[in-house]
Amino acid sequence: GTVERMTSPRTVSAFKEKGVLSINEFILAGDNLVSKCPTWSWESGEPSKRKSYLPQDKQFLMTRNVPCLRRAASIEEEYEAAGGEVLLDNEDNDGWLATHGKPKENKNDEDENLPSMETLEISKKETIQSIPSYFGEEEEEDIPDMAEFEDADNLIENDPATLQTTYLVAQEPDDDNILRTRTYDVSITYDKYYQTPRVWLTGYDESRMLLQPELVLEDVSQDHARKTVTIEDHPHLPGKHASVHPCRHGAVMKKIIDVLMSRGVEPEVDKYLFLFLKFVASVIPTIEYDYTMDFDLGSSSS
Amino acid sequence: MADQGTESILQFAPFQSAVDEGFWHRLSSLKLNKLGIDDSPIPITGFYAPCSHPHVSNHLTLVSESLPSESSEHFRPEIIRGNRNRCPVPGILYNTNTLEGFQSLDKQSLLRAEARKIWEDIRSGKVDEDNSVLLRFIVISFADLKNWSFHYWFAFPALILDPPATLVGLKPAAQWFSVEEAESVTAACNDWRNMCSTTDVPFFLVSISSNSAASIRHLVEFDACRKNGDKVLFGFYDPCHLPNNPGWPLRNYLWYISRRWSLEKVQFFCYRESRGFANLELSLVGEASISNSQDSRNDQNMPNAVGWEQNNRGRKAPRCISLAKTMDPTRLAISAA
Repeated sequence: GTVERMTSPRTVSAFKEKGVLSINEFILAGDNLVSKCPTWSWESGEPSKRKSYLPQDKQFLMTRNVPCLRRAASIEEEYEAAGGEVLLDNEDNDGWLATHGKPKENKNDEDENLPSMETLEISKKETIQSIPSYFGEEEEEDIPDMAEFEDADNLIENDPATLQTTYLVAQEPDDDNILRTRTYDVSITYDKYYQTPRVWLTGYDESRMLLQPELVLEDVSQDHARKTVTIEDHPHLPGKHASVHPCRHGAVMKKIIDVLMSRGVEPEVDKYLFLFLKFVASVIPTIEYDYTMDFDLGSSSS
Repeated sequence: MADQGTESILQFAPFQSAVDEGFWHRLSSLKLNKLGIDDSPIPITGFYAPCSHPHVSNHLTLVSESLPSESSEHFRPEIIRGNRNRCPVPGILYNTNTLEGFQSLDKQSLLRAEARKIWEDIRSGKVDEDNSVLLRFIVISFADLKNWSFHYWFAFPALILDPPATLVGLKPAAQWFSVEEAESVTAACNDWRNMCSTTDVPFFLVSISSNSAASIRHLVEFDACRKNGDKVLFGFYDPCHLPNNPGWPLRNYLWYISRRWSLEKVQFFCYRESRGFANLELSLVGEASISNSQDSRNDQNMPNAVGWEQNNRGRKAPRCISLAKTMDPTRLAISAA
């Protein structure tokens, strides 16, 4: 927006002090993510939306066709019961850890205003049937009568070598059936105003038809749906996409960095996106994108 | 390997399509700003990658870069090579001006015409130079720019082997190779995928020498590998995740192999990944038996072809997507107010 245009890009590192990234650090961290987790690629996006401060071929990062086997809402209870997933041992428990794993008594007042039950109801219904994808209820009048075409076409290909698939929409993979599952294209852009990466979600239903962004919220931890996750224009792609709002990213990353440093680990800036994606996993716990980190986070000073 | 006596027809899991919203946006602006009522077929590029997760197959995906840009001189999509997650596949788009035009397209003829290109590329040796032509595909569409809805249908033409190939055996690659071979194959595959010049080449040879050392070779090196006495498998990037079926790309590949080298038994390697690296538990090795009677028969007459995709209701019929929410200026104005 206007603010972004008026802010000059960060060029000096404030990674450890503020948990933010300069443009060059974003590219460095992105290169490292692509090399360690090759399901991620740099993309150039729509030419008309290119940012001049980023290289043409490194506008944003994307991983495609990421499975999401279960709705986040449906596993919330299990997570709560298990005490939640504690990613890093953080004493003051009010930052990025405050997600689904947060003990009940620490919930702040805002949480009570969330329409979480409503969303939960929808998701229970949706998981057992094929979702007619992108057609919202108010748009019924736009939907052409597909049955008409189907009868008219009725193309028959008798071929014994074509696998006849009977798909099953299910919550859990089952060895005996072909599982059809929701998939996501997950992208990471650079937010110039907040000077942090920003995550975007494009969802597809079980037959790879575009999901309404509202349905994407079913795959967001209920503490974040409609609050930190909003539906907005993607900076490099057409259409509305769900996005984790970056307003707290710097503070959360700063906290993670502080925890690491208190343990004598000096975090390296090219590992930023691994830490960041691990934090994002608490917002979208069932979207199985890759952020495998089987190496040191940084150099140990002890 | 399964018992020799229980050979079954080799069944291929159909390719699945996926279309980015950006593709329809670029098609709309091409239609409005450049093409007008010109409905000549448009060369497009689809992208795919090996399956990278045990639960989902990869798709043949169309993105906005699949279409030529409005300013491109030769009106062909500009392809950037060397992206491991985007192996380019040549396709053709028939976009009609009316819904009636869309419905009355002769789908059998279109499929046959595209299959003929594949068949001729096999005969002419073009496949030896660029094996992605084995994966040619068709999209027919009608872009309803008054209502911002798009009707479309994919076909992935596959030449039919008659009689069909039978499966002698199929198992996870990790069980088929010895431990030493598996290690070497994994390393060789990762090298192939990490090289800019080979990462998006979907068909290749796995050549294993007598000391269990594996190397990945280009298809044209088959005779040289065989002369060495190496064990040779025909590898391909398999978009399919199923444990008991290879994916669609193997169909035309087998046809090509049987025509090119007159083999009756073909050992194939369905290459699959996990988190972007070779995974031999998910990858499959199988042996197909191809009746030698069809070699001479197929030489002169074009074989039959199949390949129209099922829609999201599991029927052989078109799909439709409405993008009114993001394209219709009136609705955008209302939602912004």
